[in-house]
Amino acid sequence: MPEDILSILNESEALNAKVFSLVRMKLLASIAALGPDGATFRELKAALTINDGVLFANLNVLKDMGYLRSEKITSDGKELELYTITAEGHDEWKRIKSWLRRFLDCEA
Amino acid sequence: MNMKKHKKVIAFFKELGFAFTISRFDDRLIAQKLVCLLELRGINLGYPCSIYVRGPYSPNLTEDLFSFKNEFENLETSARLSSTDKETAGDLGRIFGLKPVPLEIGATYGYYAISQNCDPLEALRQVKRLKPFYSEAQVALGISKAKEFLFRPTPGDLEELKKETGIWQRASLKTLEH
Repeated sequence: MPEDILSILNESEALNAKVFSLVRMKLLASIAALGPDGATFRELKAALTINDGVLFANLNVLKDMGYLRSEKITSDGKELELYTITAEGHDEWKRIKSWLRRFLDCEA
Repeated sequence: MNMKKHKKVIAFFKELGFAFTISRFDDRLIAQKLVCLLELRGINLGYPCSIYVRGPYSPNLTEDLFSFKNEFENLETSARLSSTDKETAGDLGRIFGLKPVPLEIGATYGYYAISQNCDPLEALRQVKRLKPFYSEAQVALGISKAKEFLFRPTPGDLEELKKETGIWQRASLKTLEH
């Protein structure tokens, strides 16, 4: 398979361009790492230092794309929103990581 | 560490009387933090933690909790704990109980203080950064429990303490004489 920069850049068309924003990449990466356990809204907000509005909007975009699912859970008597990655989200994140690796390894 | 490392974790859960249910968020949280605290105390369970958005966390443990769900839920294990392991489990249960909030705060503080070699103030700052949704009182309690479980006084520390408090003890005994 050719590893020239042009081929690699053109292969990026197979990826979902809507994921390529810093906030969405941060969200997908951090939630994917937790597998079926997921993370709550308040944990994502604190650890990634994203404000409520931006976090809520971007989580919803990822949900609408089918990459995340959310559910209400109870922890220590409090109702919280838990976000977990879907199989589709996991596959997309794997494709993105694989493409990024090739892009960074390209010597152009 | 062999393929059956989860069996020793189950033995600890059994010793602690932890009735784990995979579908409960708090149970998965408690499982993560118990294992993290045991690892920090020096027990090698094969599930080292590193920092994720959930604080100190082991994705391998999550994988095994789901893969061996029935064994964890029924506390099925052939592994036996040594007397030292049992003593450690006893300390863990006595100090933390099976309460998610102190366990979460304690594990986060312990991770920064021990694995990252942070000084106590920096470890506290990291706990507050990652867990701002807990109150000052909850943070103080979790950290105090972590210190009790993870930092055991050496004979030298106890001697120092005896010297430091001896004068007060003698004074109070003298007061009782009157």
